[in-house]
Amino acid sequence: MFGSHPKLGFPRKVVACYLLFCMATVCWLALGVCLISHKVLSLHSASSCLSRLGKTAAAIEISYLRHGQEKLQHLTKQAQVEGGLAYASIIGPNGIYLAHTNASLRDMPALRPTGSLLRWGSVTGIRFVDQQNRTLREYQVPLTVDSQSIGSLQIAVVEPSVSATLASVAQYAPITVLIPLALVALGALVLGRLTGAVAEVDDQLRQVALLPPGREVSLQRLTARNGSSLGWNRIVESLNELRNHSGDQSLNKRLTEAIAVRRQNEQLDILQNLSDGVAVTDMEGRITFANRAIKALLGAEATDDVLEGTVISDRLIHNMPELAQCPLFDPECTNRSVVFEGHRHGVKADRVLRVSRQPLVGGQLKGQVWSLRDVTQQKLADKMRDQFIDTATHELRTPLSNIKAYAEMLATCDKIELEQQKEFCNIIDSEVTRLARFVDDLLSISSMEVGSLSADRQKVEIARLFEEVLDKIQPTMQKKDIQFEVRLPEKMGVLELDKEKIVAVLVNLLGNAAKYTPSGGHVSLKVKLEEDLLQIAVEDTGVGISPEDLPMVFEKFFRSKDARVQAEAGTGLGLSLAREVVRMHGGDISVESQLDKGSTFLVSIPLE
Amino acid sequence: MNDKAQRILIVDDNVALARVIQFAMDGAGFETVTAQNGRIAFELAKKSLFDVVITDQQMPEMTGVDLCRNLRGMPEYEDCPIILLTAKGLELELPRLQHELEIDATFSKPFSPSTLVKTVNELLAAAVS
Repeated sequence: MFGSHPKLGFPRKVVACYLLFCMATVCWLALGVCLISHKVLSLHSASSCLSRLGKTAAAIEISYLRHGQEKLQHLTKQAQVEGGLAYASIIGPNGIYLAHTNASLRDMPALRPTGSLLRWGSVTGIRFVDQQNRTLREYQVPLTVDSQSIGSLQIAVVEPSVSATLASVAQYAPITVLIPLALVALGALVLGRLTGAVAEVDDQLRQVALLPPGREVSLQRLTARNGSSLGWNRIVESLNELRNHSGDQSLNKRLTEAIAVRRQNEQLDILQNLSDGVAVTDMEGRITFANRAIKALLGAEATDDVLEGTVISDRLIHNMPELAQCPLFDPECTNRSVVFEGHRHGVKADRVLRVSRQPLVGGQLKGQVWSLRDVTQQKLADKMRDQFIDTATHELRTPLSNIKAYAEMLATCDKIELEQQKEFCNIIDSEVTRLARFVDDLLSISSMEVGSLSADRQKVEIARLFEEVLDKIQPTMQKKDIQFEVRLPEKMGVLELDKEKIVAVLVNLLGNAAKYTPSGGHVSLKVKLEEDLLQIAVEDTGVGISPEDLPMVFEKFFRSKDARVQAEAGTGLGLSLAREVVRMHGGDISVESQLDKGSTFLVSIPLE
Repeated sequence: MNDKAQRILIVDDNVALARVIQFAMDGAGFETVTAQNGRIAFELAKKSLFDVVITDQQMPEMTGVDLCRNLRGMPEYEDCPIILLTAKGLELELPRLQHELEIDATFSKPFSPSTLVKTVNELLAAAVS
């Protein structure tokens, strides 16, 4: 029954069986105890009956000897009371009751009951059922006085029935039955505990057995309680490892295949994502491969505009007519590399494209590889640099010319008045200063390029810094008749700055303000010193900066094309230097401007 | 020979330089007029005749080369000696310019004013003969 029960696991079956057999044992023992008690009680009553019989017989014989038949009734009664007898009687030799505990039967003829005979030596007994349905045992023994029989003595006891036995045993039942039951229960608990881990393992095993064939076996770890659960966990772990490993192996194979495909796609991706346009043409000049960039550069971004199959020279010349004459398409030059730059007129702006063609050599592919690159930015940078060189040359040669001319005049001319001589010398002096300043700027720019420009931060009295700035800039302001407003904070104190560079930056900003503000205009210098920030604003009512130029003003060499700006001398270096210096102090510089209204430059330097 | 002083037009946006050239030319007995850019110079040239034009190249509104071109377009200045002063690397293109615009002499900055005076005298002498 238990063996095939579907729900119970093996350990639980063990516990169930244990309980069953223990209960059976306990019941059997209880039963046995009852039976034995019953037997013992019966024997006990029998032996006590026999001893009572003997004692009573002896007492009666003695009493008969002394008193004759007088006390016989009394003795029977006494015997009955002492022995708990059903009745006691003496039958005379004539068969008449000489005494009977039931007084009414005295002097009556004795009725011998019928039943099963019992015998112990000279004692005979009868087991019978009386009128009241009680099972009685009557024991009889002959009485002799002086070797003369005077009759026989009968005593009868109620045979102890099973129920009587049980009743007498019942009071001990709680102790005798409940304690074993408690022990059994405890035993079941302990057994359950001990087999706990095994039970979990057994559960898992039976679950596995229930799995349909082909399904993957999955086992769970158990809470580590004892050796078997630890062992189980080890098995589960190694099974999982094995599985992963074998999974890995098949994965590896698939991976290797996928990698090969992926690499191919990656290379294609790389080509597609290049910023340079790449195309491959066959021997007839027809495009066999074109990446995304070349499609964009040739204006073929529309999905229905397919480059592959078209003749490349057509497309290129269509975009850049000046290519028509160049050796790019000369069939004589197919085994040479050719590079050519051309202009492509676009909707938004003209672009300069560099086209290079190289023959495909060495591999299986025959034809040409074309590369198209947008070099507009580069060209712009080159142009700016050339512009700078022009300006620099001008800025260097102008003061030099003046110095030479005036010096020569002073040296050779005899007819110069003293006042004029002094004037000439002053001019030479100021030109030298101008030249020196420009050379400094150039050196700063080149240090900036190299990255060796550094801020030498020292404790500086701010008041003195601004004094120096104002000293340097006042002449310029006065010369142009500009209203110059200065607003400085009351408490200026000491800050850690590179005084020389900051002064140069401020002089540059104010100089620009003055330079690009017409006569009679207004320039202001407003300084705010907060707890953690130094803010300097240079405002002017000058020519302003257009929105197109605004993002470029801090770039090296940049000079606006605005005629009013071009009219002034400038290198396009001042603002980029200013930005570099401010950034070295951890700060930043920004500008707000409106064309023809004016500009405001804002410098913020954080203070530690 | 003409006793009236020869008139020289000096064109340069570098005021100091224009002044020192003027000083040198005045000292050499010429009558001088200065202009700060090509446009002003052209107006002046149209108004009155000059014997020599000395001009800088890099100037706002009209460069020296353009001024040259415009002057050469006027019959009065077809043969006028024109001297070009330049700070730029036009040295490379000077032969072409000289040929194209018939610029008589070029000076790259810095230059010696006395040499300039000497050149002016030579050109004027050659023009007469």
